[in-house]
Amino acid sequence: MLKYVNVSIDGAIIHAVKGTSVLDTALEYGICIPHLCHVPYLSDIGTCRLCIVEHVVNGRSNVTTSCTLKVEEGMVIRTNTDRIRKLRRNLAELLAAQAPNSRAIQDIALRCGVKEVRYPFRNEDCVLCGRCVRVCAEVWKARAIGFVGRGKDRHVDYPFGIRPDFCKQCGSCIQLCPMTIPPCDGPMKPGEERLCGNCESQLIIADETPGSCVWCKLGEGFACGRYV
Amino acid sequence: MSSLNSFRELEHLREWLRQQRQNITTTVMVCGGTGCKASRSQAVIDAVKDELSRQELDTKVRLCVTGCHGFCEQGPVIIIEPGNIFYCHVSPDDAFEVVYQTVVKGEIIERLLYTDAVSGKTTRTMSEIPFYRAQDRQILSQNLNVDPCSIEDYIVAGGYSALTKMLRGMTPENIIKEITSSGLRGRGGGGFPTGRKWSECREAPGDEKYVICNADEGDPGAYMDRCVLEGNPHLVLEGMMIGAWAVGAGKGYVYVRNEYPLAVQHAQIAVEQARKFGLLGDNILSSSFSFNVEIARGGGAFVCGESTALMASVEGKVGEPRAKDVHTVVDGLYHKPTVLNNVETWANVPSIILNGSSWFASKGTQGSKGTKILALTGRIKNTGLVEVAMGTPIRTVVYDIGGGALNGNPVKAVQTGGPSGGCLPVDMFDLAIDFDVLYEAGSMIGSGGMVVMDEGTCMVDVAKYFLTFLQDESCGKCLPCRLGIDRMLEIITDITEGRGKPEQLDLLEELADTVVQTALCGLGKTAPNPVLSTLRYFCPEYEAHIGEKKCPAGVCKALITYWIDPDKCNGCGVCLRGCVYGAITGRKKQVHIIDAQLCQKCGICRSECKFDAIRVV
Repeated sequence: MLKYVNVSIDGAIIHAVKGTSVLDTALEYGICIPHLCHVPYLSDIGTCRLCIVEHVVNGRSNVTTSCTLKVEEGMVIRTNTDRIRKLRRNLAELLAAQAPNSRAIQDIALRCGVKEVRYPFRNEDCVLCGRCVRVCAEVWKARAIGFVGRGKDRHVDYPFGIRPDFCKQCGSCIQLCPMTIPPCDGPMKPGEERLCGNCESQLIIADETPGSCVWCKLGEGFACGRYV
Repeated sequence: MSSLNSFRELEHLREWLRQQRQNITTTVMVCGGTGCKASRSQAVIDAVKDELSRQELDTKVRLCVTGCHGFCEQGPVIIIEPGNIFYCHVSPDDAFEVVYQTVVKGEIIERLLYTDAVSGKTTRTMSEIPFYRAQDRQILSQNLNVDPCSIEDYIVAGGYSALTKMLRGMTPENIIKEITSSGLRGRGGGGFPTGRKWSECREAPGDEKYVICNADEGDPGAYMDRCVLEGNPHLVLEGMMIGAWAVGAGKGYVYVRNEYPLAVQHAQIAVEQARKFGLLGDNILSSSFSFNVEIARGGGAFVCGESTALMASVEGKVGEPRAKDVHTVVDGLYHKPTVLNNVETWANVPSIILNGSSWFASKGTQGSKGTKILALTGRIKNTGLVEVAMGTPIRTVVYDIGGGALNGNPVKAVQTGGPSGGCLPVDMFDLAIDFDVLYEAGSMIGSGGMVVMDEGTCMVDVAKYFLTFLQDESCGKCLPCRLGIDRMLEIITDITEGRGKPEQLDLLEELADTVVQTALCGLGKTAPNPVLSTLRYFCPEYEAHIGEKKCPAGVCKALITYWIDPDKCNGCGVCLRGCVYGAITGRKKQVHIIDAQLCQKCGICRSECKFDAIRVV
């Protein structure tokens, strides 16, 4: 027997299933909250921080990630304020500067309204979203890959750098990896990284309707929760 | 020693121990804290011990190896009671004199007395020393007379009486009420009201609850938690027992970093002793209260001082924080309600219970009560641990207690609260040491680190130093902390190396603000503070680095050149011989010249020159 609670997201009173996250609820009701590390069937760890929302408690609004926030009766959430848009844009800018060589990242940057990248580009292959690590541990119970190192040295690797025999090379990790989708123009060479911004029609949608889901083509790129 | 079964047995033991010690005429207290041990106090302790047994004074004189006395700069330190005689910089060779002259004959050894660096006056007793006089030592003074490895010492000094007072007639609700009305706030950095934390944990559903003592102190230049835990571990344990009773916890952990070997050892000994005496375990002193403590050793990651990362580490998982949408007082260690407090917070608890909340609340300001231990370090005359009442102005701490700047260079700023805190300029030194006042000013008390900087410190370089530290210590889990700190450091490195552009300052500020608002845990949320506070108070320095490509303090190597003032150089040749890069040329008795191409800007020549002829521009 499902229990329901009433939450207010961007002013809409939503009858949400108790125990679900704010992000899932919002996506289901067509409210767009860009996200990267969230996968509907995996646990949420809140690493990419793109799905931040304002949670209003006693008149004070706290910025928190909607994927780790569970719905509660009477909760007031704002997903699309100026403050949130600005923060989200800055985060997406960091992400795009770090790893521009992926359509998923480019799409996220576009959807979050990044118009320019003010940092020197790097061409990293991994953004440490942890989708691969979680699918391996939670779906296949294999734990064949995990995070190694701390801070700047953090990366995804096999235990002790050697592929264990319980890694069956199923490829789930690759399927979920946002970095395996190349930009439309093909992979960028080192030194040629840029913000592609090719999707002009999508750009208008991103500008005009940042708060509601329009089944944009971008979501396919960044594996939006609504497409999976 | 069999375990104690009732309150009366504890009181009897205390009385018996006091009687045993009646014929002790003199107590020699030698500091055995880590600071003094680094100055070879163990050799002094051994020498004094040998000397006492050689002169057959063992029964009359008590040698007490204590925890830190606070004045680490002067170590090894000996205090002799009665008389409160304070000797500093004692060497093992002085042991004979100390025992024969002072202990036996009661004479003072002038040579070992402390001479004040500011006034030049020599003082006999500890209480006369300006460093101690201006302090209000509520917790640190309890370090003085107690051997941390001896539960007997702690009991003689009145220890565990707060525990008996509590078990005799205070309900958990009473305890929480007392702590709440005392106004005690968390000493670890956040300044969260302790009473509220406890009552939220008490009200949280579940039978199994935990209390944790956070001794994972990692701020550069801060060591007050180490000194309290290694100097008086029973005080912390007693505080934890009271907290456990108040919230209904049956188990406690002391999470202490393995880099503090003495603190680990003393905490372990204290737990074993308390267990042996029946003060930990089932049905403590025949009451209904059962409580046990375990020591959990941390690997020394700075991020493990964060509550959720610490709990993950205790559980044996990777020390990474998780989202705290549900607070740890409800969903903490092993997903059970948990109270996590800092060492100093726990150490404050027994005296609040014993003396009442109004006694504690009488010290301090409206919003911050009691005293705070600060670790005074940096370019200052008297470094050491300082305990002052909340509300004391920074000026008092830096000038009256700290004795002002070293080498006569004027003080420029003070960095409070470690890497998460901020820098306050000298014209703000009238600010009170108070959680809210410092927070308003863009800094924080934090765990209590206080690094004093003089005019020779470049504030951009300071921000760079702290960002480098935080970049190393960030766990890397969330994007804003991992990439944000990295990019901030990239921008600041550009600025210090002369590649800075004016628009980068706005970007830096915007990025810092983004990281503050969006990072996952406390480390990330406070990581940009050094940048934000230096930008706020020392913006002209940033502008000088960017606009004029000059480092006003002469620190940033890419922006400075060394040259020899021809009016002052007399051609002595000291700099020439000192230069390891062969960058200085010149004949004897003639003005020397530095080759800017070869100069590596190490500064050796400048420190060697006796005529102040070498300048940095």
